[in-house]
Amino acid sequence: MSALAAALLAFCEWCNGSFFGHAIRDSVWLFPFVEIFHLLALALLGGTLLLINLRLLGVRFGADPTAVLARELRPWMLGSLIVMLVSGFLLFSTEAVKMYGNWAFQLKMLCLVLATVFTFTIHRRVTSREGASSALRWTTVAVSSLLWLAVGLGGRALGYVTTAVSAVTGG
Amino acid sequence: MHGALAVEPFLHWLAGTPFSTLMRESVWAEPIVETVHVLTLTVFLGFVLLLDLRMLDLVLRRKRVAEVLEQLSPWLFGGFAVMIVTGLLLFTADPVAFYSTLFFKLKMIMIVLAGLNVLTFNATLGRGIATWDQGTATPWKVKLSGLVSLVLWVSVVAAGRGIAYALPPP
Repeated sequence: MSALAAALLAFCEWCNGSFFGHAIRDSVWLFPFVEIFHLLALALLGGTLLLINLRLLGVRFGADPTAVLARELRPWMLGSLIVMLVSGFLLFSTEAVKMYGNWAFQLKMLCLVLATVFTFTIHRRVTSREGASSALRWTTVAVSSLLWLAVGLGGRALGYVTTAVSAVTGG
Repeated sequence: MHGALAVEPFLHWLAGTPFSTLMRESVWAEPIVETVHVLTLTVFLGFVLLLDLRMLDLVLRRKRVAEVLEQLSPWLFGGFAVMIVTGLLLFTADPVAFYSTLFFKLKMIMIVLAGLNVLTFNATLGRGIATWDQGTATPWKVKLSGLVSLVLWVSVVAAGRGIAYALPPP
């Protein structure tokens, strides 16, 4: 096992044993309660990104520049991303060690890092000024949509993978 | 109660249809339909929340409410259609179990109330939208309508999550 893998596993074990990991796991209501925030932030993050991307393609909001719309929506996009990350981390902490070996979760985390970096770099640049070529705008929308969709699909899949692993290992 | 509305016999009939059996027994049907239901939240609920927040003067203040409403409408209708169809499909897989939970009934009541809120807006405030939608602060009645919508849809999500925990394990 590499040093990185060992450190990640140690981190997962720490999460599992943390007070919030314990609290959410032991409570009947906390897990669904945190999930509600995760879902509401999903709606708002997806909604704001979708609107910005539609504007980038020239589909919505008429002649107003993309940069103006993106600047107005950015605080809500960032806010919902933060809520997603915090609530997602809390949900993860209840079964962090299980998630460590879950391929759907690993894929989700990889896509999450890529999607976040893309959003704050290329996506941000393209939506901050006018004059981007049609090819660049369409590529940006495609990459952004595919990466975030992969994050969402990974999130849906990890629950089913957990069940399958438990069924095999009897855990 | 002796089934005055004949709900229970209908649910049992529905559960016995070949389509319900297919939804229940297929390995892929339920995960795929549920994934579409959850991810369509970004279109439907995301745009509903943005519209509500606009009515509360919290986002997109440079645009008139009428403009936001007009631009989002086709996506709201399309998203809602997908939510209803996928929701019905999930319900069809196990109608008796769904109906037996308190959260399912709460969710349906909240959706009906949210629909009534939209109809009320269209019949009253929506008719005079040109008179109050001038780019200055939004009137309190419009804000109230947006707030009611916001609270109801958040409740729909909460109740929907509740169903998953209230359902008997498969």
